[in-house]
Amino acid sequence: MTPTVCSGLDRVEAEAQGRDLRGPCPAPSRPDPQLGPASPFAPAGLINGPCATRAQSGSAAAQLAWALPPSRLSALLTVGPPPMEEEQTYLELYLDQCAAQDDLAPPGSPLLSPIVPDDGYIPNTSNSETVFNSHLQEVKGASGHFSSVDLSFLPDELTQESKDQSVIRSKQDIEENCKTQSQQSRLSLPREQDMGLGLINDSTLSKSHSQAYPGDADSVQPSPEKPNSTPLMSITPMTPVTPVSECSGIVPQLQNIVSTVNLACKLDLKKIALHAKNAEYNPKRFAAVIMRIREPRTTALIFSSGKMVCTGAKSEEQSRLAARKYARVVQKLGFPARFLDFKIQNMVGSCDVRFPIRLEGLVLTHQQFSSYEPELFPGLIYRMVKPRIVLLIFVSGKVVLTGAKERSEIYEAFENIYPILKGFKKA
Amino acid sequence: MSAAGGQGRPFLRVFLAPEVTYSRSTGENDQVSRSQQRGLRRVRDLCRVLQLPSTFEDTAVAYYQQAYRHSGIRAARLQKKEVLVGCCVLITCRQHNWPLTMGTVCALLYADLDVFSGTYMQIVKLLGLDVPSLCLADLVKTYCSSFRLFQASPSVPAKYVEDKEKMLSRTLQLVELADETWLVTGRHPLPVITAATFLAWQSLQPSHRLTCSLARFCKLANVDLPYPASSRLQELLSVLLRMAERLAWLQVLKLDKRSVVKHIGDLLQHRHTLVRKAFRDGTAEMEAGEKELRGRCQGPEQGKEEVASSSLDLPEGKRPASPTPLLPPCMLKPPKRICPPPPVSTVTGDENISDSEIEQYLRTPQEIKDFEKAQAARQAARSVSNPP
Repeated sequence: MTPTVCSGLDRVEAEAQGRDLRGPCPAPSRPDPQLGPASPFAPAGLINGPCATRAQSGSAAAQLAWALPPSRLSALLTVGPPPMEEEQTYLELYLDQCAAQDDLAPPGSPLLSPIVPDDGYIPNTSNSETVFNSHLQEVKGASGHFSSVDLSFLPDELTQESKDQSVIRSKQDIEENCKTQSQQSRLSLPREQDMGLGLINDSTLSKSHSQAYPGDADSVQPSPEKPNSTPLMSITPMTPVTPVSECSGIVPQLQNIVSTVNLACKLDLKKIALHAKNAEYNPKRFAAVIMRIREPRTTALIFSSGKMVCTGAKSEEQSRLAARKYARVVQKLGFPARFLDFKIQNMVGSCDVRFPIRLEGLVLTHQQFSSYEPELFPGLIYRMVKPRIVLLIFVSGKVVLTGAKERSEIYEAFENIYPILKGFKKA
Repeated sequence: MSAAGGQGRPFLRVFLAPEVTYSRSTGENDQVSRSQQRGLRRVRDLCRVLQLPSTFEDTAVAYYQQAYRHSGIRAARLQKKEVLVGCCVLITCRQHNWPLTMGTVCALLYADLDVFSGTYMQIVKLLGLDVPSLCLADLVKTYCSSFRLFQASPSVPAKYVEDKEKMLSRTLQLVELADETWLVTGRHPLPVITAATFLAWQSLQPSHRLTCSLARFCKLANVDLPYPASSRLQELLSVLLRMAERLAWLQVLKLDKRSVVKHIGDLLQHRHTLVRKAFRDGTAEMEAGEKELRGRCQGPEQGKEEVASSSLDLPEGKRPASPTPLLPPCMLKPPKRICPPPPVSTVTGDENISDSEIEQYLRTPQEIKDFEKAQAARQAARSVSNPP
């Protein structure tokens, strides 16, 4: 092993910054926003597999669906205010990344099975327009950048209304995302209505669409026997559609970040507990030293193998800084600690939608993803598939999002759930 | 009969008892481990104790067998396997809308609700099952029928006896009212029903029953009083009071939580209109508010309907106090502490860490010596006070 000139501290710092002193400059710790969620468009409501028998659920769900008020389309295209200042940089980054994805060429045909429905939930991940053009019959969920798409086959009312409604929007950057979502949802909405879910039954939009379709059946590519069926999306009856274009304007706050790092040396926990003021060590209870620092306010579990878990930080950078400080403490105690493989393992965020939510209704319509057992826990546990985030939704409108490895997953999950929650706003 | 696979005792039994049971002769249990057999027996026993239809038994047994195919269940502790019996029965009941609460199952199994809850969530996920929610109306009927108030007895005075049908229907109406006014969502269902049953019973003969408290009522009826029932009762009474304010002939009476009980019959008769009026919610108002907001950017939605109502023309300006919003009680309470938005953090994660900052966390040599001395002294004191 070639002896390095720099001291141990410099080495830790270099590792903390991801620089290998002997090698080239590696990537920074924050993942490149351009390489964010690059997976092709897939709806949040991907159905995992066949559900076990549920004798009366179908009828109960149908009954409730008819009882729900026709509220969705009234707020079809309103747009939220700009995000709060303090979160603006991150939200802009996230939206830029999604806008960039809109412009990316598609990797190929969408990786979707024909069964996969388009809920229109996902606001931002999308493929390019070529998909839309070439896979009119098969496109089951891909959205596209619509400005260059040939929409001549669509009835005039549809394109006209899309132009009208685009005037209402005010914010440039949210506009683009909302537009793709709304057109998606508009196309998928009549389909949902035809499926008889009955959630939306008084929108002029869907009426005009269904009226227009028989007349335009010839121009539509698939068979004209079914004038009301859209060739673009096929949706299973399980997932109800909601208008997606309403961005919430609420930004979830990160509450906790859990990260791990490898100090890469064996540690004497007794010595650490003796020499450090901020450490507690009770081997009978737990086989690690629990160390705390004041700034950033975090807690670390330090194991004798040299692995460390850092919890309590409110941002990724704070978690990294805190982990570095713990590594420095361990180093000052005389151990040859390094700073390898720093990784964020979990991020928890929370926010408040400010209106009460009928959890019983939500569990009926989203039974594949929801678990609501008031005898056990007052909140509804929603397991979103894309992104893979678990949300705890409470009757007060407070939402906790957890399970994210990246900040953008939290934002995306919230943007996905917000329209669903809005549908359950009223009694 | 051929010897049962792997187990000596049944073979012995063949000699000692000439009859051979069907299950032993068919060898259907040969492949099944003893703990699984025990579990399956327990499932059937539980179904019989609960007097469930026979089809339920087969379904529950099938679920148990299905669960046992997973290695995580096979390797689980006995406690979990015992609780799994209850989980399978509960899932079966839920799927047939048979109102069985987790509390009942845990009581029958002498199981801890925490263990039960963990196993239940795990098995639902593992088997990929779709379990419907507890059916509230059926639970009301079953639970109310268990109250011992329908016949006079040494413990139940004549004035306290009530007609079952009347009580059931009124309780059901009260539970529906509670559901509509956000008292049920997110809460355990049973205490709401207890409170509703109590109010229904009181209101059917208020003159003789107003003096009876909730605790005494449950004792008379031979039913356990769940802890949250008293607060559910207070919430339900305040909802009824707000409704009473909208009823013309009750407005003048200046009712309180005790006197409103006398008028529950009237309030329930007009409950749909009264809820709409008392809380100024209603879909019309929300939609009107939304139409206003549609043209402009929509901010974080205000749950309080006062915002929407303030922008509307109030036809009932002469009504007394401003109507309270129809919200779950947790939203009506003032926030425990106001969380200020976190300050913008400019941390990059790559800052320099000064030595002094790290050293503040380290003990000086003198402190180390003192600490070691104190530890040794504590050890010595412990060994003295606990002589071997």
